[in-house]
Amino acid sequence: MKTLLRLLALLAWLIPSAYAAETGYTLKATEVKDKPFLDANTLTTLPEKTTVEILTRQGAWMQIKTADVKQGWIRMLSVRLGSPDQKPQGGGNLLSSLIGSRPRPATTSTVTTGVRGFSEEDLANAKPNAAEVEKMKGFAATPGEATRLAESGKLEVKPVAYFDENGKPLKEKK
Amino acid sequence: MSALRLAAALSIAAVVLAGCKSGGGFDLKNMDLGNVVKSVGNLREVKEPEEIQIGQSMTETLLGARPLFDDAQLQHYVNEVGLWVAQQSDRPNLPWHFGVNDSDHINAFATPGGFIIITKGMMKQLRNEAELAGVLGHEVAHVNQKHHLKALRKSAFASLLGEGVAGASGKQAELVKNLAGPTKELYARGLDKSDEFEADRMGVVFAARAGYDPYGLPAVLTTLASADPRDNYLTLLYKTHPLPQARLDKLAPGLTTLDAIKAPQNASRFQQYTKNLRVVTK
Repeated sequence: MKTLLRLLALLAWLIPSAYAAETGYTLKATEVKDKPFLDANTLTTLPEKTTVEILTRQGAWMQIKTADVKQGWIRMLSVRLGSPDQKPQGGGNLLSSLIGSRPRPATTSTVTTGVRGFSEEDLANAKPNAAEVEKMKGFAATPGEATRLAESGKLEVKPVAYFDENGKPLKEKK
Repeated sequence: MSALRLAAALSIAAVVLAGCKSGGGFDLKNMDLGNVVKSVGNLREVKEPEEIQIGQSMTETLLGARPLFDDAQLQHYVNEVGLWVAQQSDRPNLPWHFGVNDSDHINAFATPGGFIIITKGMMKQLRNEAELAGVLGHEVAHVNQKHHLKALRKSAFASLLGEGVAGASGKQAELVKNLAGPTKELYARGLDKSDEFEADRMGVVFAARAGYDPYGLPAVLTTLASADPRDNYLTLLYKTHPLPQARLDKLAPGLTTLDAIKAPQNASRFQQYTKNLRVVTK
C-alpha cells in the first residue's frame, strides 16, 4: 500500500512536469507573435533549428520560450518535437518516455520480445474473436451520454464545411 | 450474375489484355468485352445492414490479433467521445462502436458500418481529448466514405460481395471465415493514399464540428512526424499510411481556414480517464 501511494505521488509529480518539459525546434525561420493570431505583433524571428520549450498549445499555435525569448507564440506546423541535433527519439512524446510506461522503442528486433503488438505478423496469425466484439458492443455510448459528455466538456457544435485538397470549402455534402 | 461468371469474364479480359500487350493474334470480335464491363459495373450497392455485418466480421479478425485493453471506464469514455464526433458525420445513426485494444503499437483502424479500434500505444501518444477526437474523426471519415468497402470490391472478396453473401446467407461464422483473409490483407496493405488524405481533411472537420480544437489531429501528426521511422511500434502505420509530414503538408491549406476557431482541448478529463495507461508495470 505504501509503495502504491508513493508511486501515485510520483505520478502526480511527473505528469505536469512532463508537460512543461516538452521541447522542440523550428523547421524553418519562424515569426514569434505576442498573441496566438497571424496579425498579432511580431516579437522576433527565430532562425531554423532554434530549440524551443513548449509551454501550451492553442489551435494552430504553440506558446514557447527560448534562451532569448521570454515567451511568445509560433505556428505548430513550424515545429518538430525533440532536438535538432539528435535523431528522432522513438515515439517522440516526452510524456510517455519520461513516465516510462512505454517500453523503449525498438530499433533492434530483440527489444520487441514480449511486446503486446499489432504487427503485420500478429495480424497474419489472428484468429477471429467473436466474444471480444460482443464485449466491445457492451461499451457503446448512447446519444444522451455523448451529449452529456459534450456539455460537461463545454463542446459546442459548430457549422464547419468540408474542404478540398486546396483548402477550398466544399458547399455540397460529399 | 454468378461469381463464377464474373471470375471467368475477368480471366478472359486478362487474357485479352495480355494478348494485346504481346501483340498476339486474338480475335477481339469474338470476345464479349461488353459483358465484362457490365459484370464489374453490376456489383450492386451494399446495403447498410450488410455493411455493418461485414464490418463486425472484420472486427472479429482485428480483435483476434489483439483483444481489448481491460479498462471498462476508459472504453466507455472513448465510446462517448467517438459517438459525439461521429454524430457530426453524414452517418450519425450508424451503430458506432469504439474500442482501445491492448497493443503497444501506434495505430488506429476502422471497419465498415462503424467499428473503430485505437491501440493503447496510440492512446499513450495523445495529450488531450481534442487529439483523441482528431484520430477518431479520421477513422469515422473512413466509415463515412466507405473506403474499406470500396477496397474490398477490389479484393478477392469482391465476387462474394456481388452475390450479397452477407445479407442473404445470414451466417455470421461463414462470413467471418470468408472475410478473414481479405481483412488481413487489406489492413496489412492499407488504403489508397488519397483515401488517407481525404480522411485527414474530413476528420479535422468532424472534430471541429464537435466543438474541439481543430488542431488535435495535426498535433498527433506532429508527434508522429517526430518519431523514429525505424521504431517497430510504427512499422505497420508507416507501411499503410503516407508519412506524417506528407499528411501535414497536404492538410495545411485547409487547416488555415479553421484558424479562427478557439475551442477546448479537455486535457484534464482525458488525463483522468487514461491514467491506467500510464501505470508503471515493470
